[in-house]
Amino acid sequence: MISPLPDGFTFLRRSGFHFSLLIVVLISLSGCAGRLNKAVDHYHSGHPQKALQVLNRGDQPGKRNQLLFFLEKGVILHQMGEYQQSTAQLRQAARLIDSFEVVSLSEQAGSLVTSEWLTRYKGEYSERLWVHSYLMMNYLLLGQYDGALVEAKQALERLDRYPEALTDDYFTRALIALCFANLAEDNDAYLVYRKLADDLPGPAPVAAEIVWHAGRLGMVDEVEKYRSFLPRRLPEGESELVLFVANGQIPVKRSGNVFFPPSIRFAFPYYSAGGTPRPGIKILPRRWSSLPLLSTALGDVARDALAARKARIIVKETVRVATKEVIAQSVGNKNDAAAEALVRVALFLLEEPDTRSWRTLPGRLTLVRIPLPAGRHELQVELTYSGLARRKIIDLPEIQLRQGQRVFHAIRF
Amino acid sequence: MNKFSLLIKMAFTGFLIFFVAGCSVTTREIGSDEKVIYDEGYHFSDKKAIVDGMVKSLLSKYPLLRATDRPVLIVYGIANRTSEHISTSAMTDDIRQELLSTSRVRFVNKIQRENIARETSYQYGGNVAAETRIQKARQVGAKYMLTGTLRSIEKKQPRQFRLKKKTLMYYSLNMELTDIQTGLIEWADSAEVIREASKPFIGW
Repeated sequence: MISPLPDGFTFLRRSGFHFSLLIVVLISLSGCAGRLNKAVDHYHSGHPQKALQVLNRGDQPGKRNQLLFFLEKGVILHQMGEYQQSTAQLRQAARLIDSFEVVSLSEQAGSLVTSEWLTRYKGEYSERLWVHSYLMMNYLLLGQYDGALVEAKQALERLDRYPEALTDDYFTRALIALCFANLAEDNDAYLVYRKLADDLPGPAPVAAEIVWHAGRLGMVDEVEKYRSFLPRRLPEGESELVLFVANGQIPVKRSGNVFFPPSIRFAFPYYSAGGTPRPGIKILPRRWSSLPLLSTALGDVARDALAARKARIIVKETVRVATKEVIAQSVGNKNDAAAEALVRVALFLLEEPDTRSWRTLPGRLTLVRIPLPAGRHELQVELTYSGLARRKIIDLPEIQLRQGQRVFHAIRF
Repeated sequence: MNKFSLLIKMAFTGFLIFFVAGCSVTTREIGSDEKVIYDEGYHFSDKKAIVDGMVKSLLSKYPLLRATDRPVLIVYGIANRTSEHISTSAMTDDIRQELLSTSRVRFVNKIQRENIARETSYQYGGNVAAETRIQKARQVGAKYMLTGTLRSIEKKQPRQFRLKKKTLMYYSLNMELTDIQTGLIEWADSAEVIREASKPFIGW
């Protein structure tokens, strides 16, 4: 029998080739993902050390999942209190994200006939912002306030770039303002708080900050305007304890599919429903209380970020499906039906949506600021969650506050 | 062999050459005066230019111009207010080194204060011969305090259809010398670096 295939494609006659190729591609795509999944499982079952060991074991991760390795390690080390090492990982992640600004033609072309999994994971817009959120927290916890300010500026740049997707990340925005305020950059702090006041359901949570910074900048009209939004009982103290409270787990990305005959499959990622409710946070002894809390449900922001990318995903998915259909029909025209069926099966199976994501992130981040007088303090935090059904008390390390000093501490539960 | 197969083989050979060439390691020595700039960000050659300018200004203006008693300075560092992680202590180290090399000023070693105190305690701990011990309360107080702020402004071209993106970066270093006794700023100067760079949006 004379083959209708051109010389360069005669290998397509070998029926086993398709499955071999498919298996090679699938194995290469899932190699590093297995380690990531295992590490995430260890982390969420309360074994961050084991999770870290899994990520550090074996070869260096391939380029496709390199970003996820940095991100997951960054959070695990943060959780373990290794802020310096966490910072090193997250800064590598930030540099990698910057390098993704250049679109790789070879990568994009390859992904058009295979799967989005073939491309380097570049992070959702929200994840690109949270790299800087964690870096800000790390630098503040290390007492390196200049470093925190650098990250605040980079986070602002991310917010400016994707405003619609990231507006609801009140935690990060309040953290940015705090980094400015911490170094007496009143004007920048004021501007961030002012925008935050516009975007929050009401300006009350940031009114005290606006009044304070506007007062220092001599903006009498702004002071008057926001004074009326001040909470009735505002805690006072010349020093401050700042808590970064993380709880829950960020929703995972799932695979959504739409099928059309004979073998057309539109696949897209989406975040599973559900969120992490805001925990109740009280300071013990009860004579101390916090300023109004600013909190972000990370799942909500992640969904907004994915939605902001929706148009791009649809366009690329359509082009990929069309390209695959052309390939399948071309093989069918030049071979028998069995060859076309094999190619269709291979391309159908390859059509997997990219469900990679930064999975060690918490479901919610809350900024808790407790004004305190200078001196020695032994405090506890009372946390209520799951609809007040669960209560937990965490002992904070003893703190010695100087006049005007701000001390930072991270909690994850 | 038909044209199609030939094309595939040629493409494969091209790839092979590209990857082999891309993987080869090259190194070269770079002189400290040589200006090497890869992008719009802060580079070591900027530090050198800024430090040289600042030292020149400090020595050629009041109060150090007329000082004959080798005044004592203390460096309180340069605050980094840019959007990059820049080691500003490297700048102050270089400024201090260049000023010291002129023998016209002296510096208090602020960073080693804790170690000096520890060493002093050790010497008075009973293990060191009394005649070789340093004398306590003989440290010299600084007359002037050297401080500064490094700032940056970054402007990026707006997002639109094009193949390259331009970025404009402006750095300014403001430094001041404060008389610790009077609290007066006796000297202040600034140095600026403005740079534009363009990066491609598309790569292989």
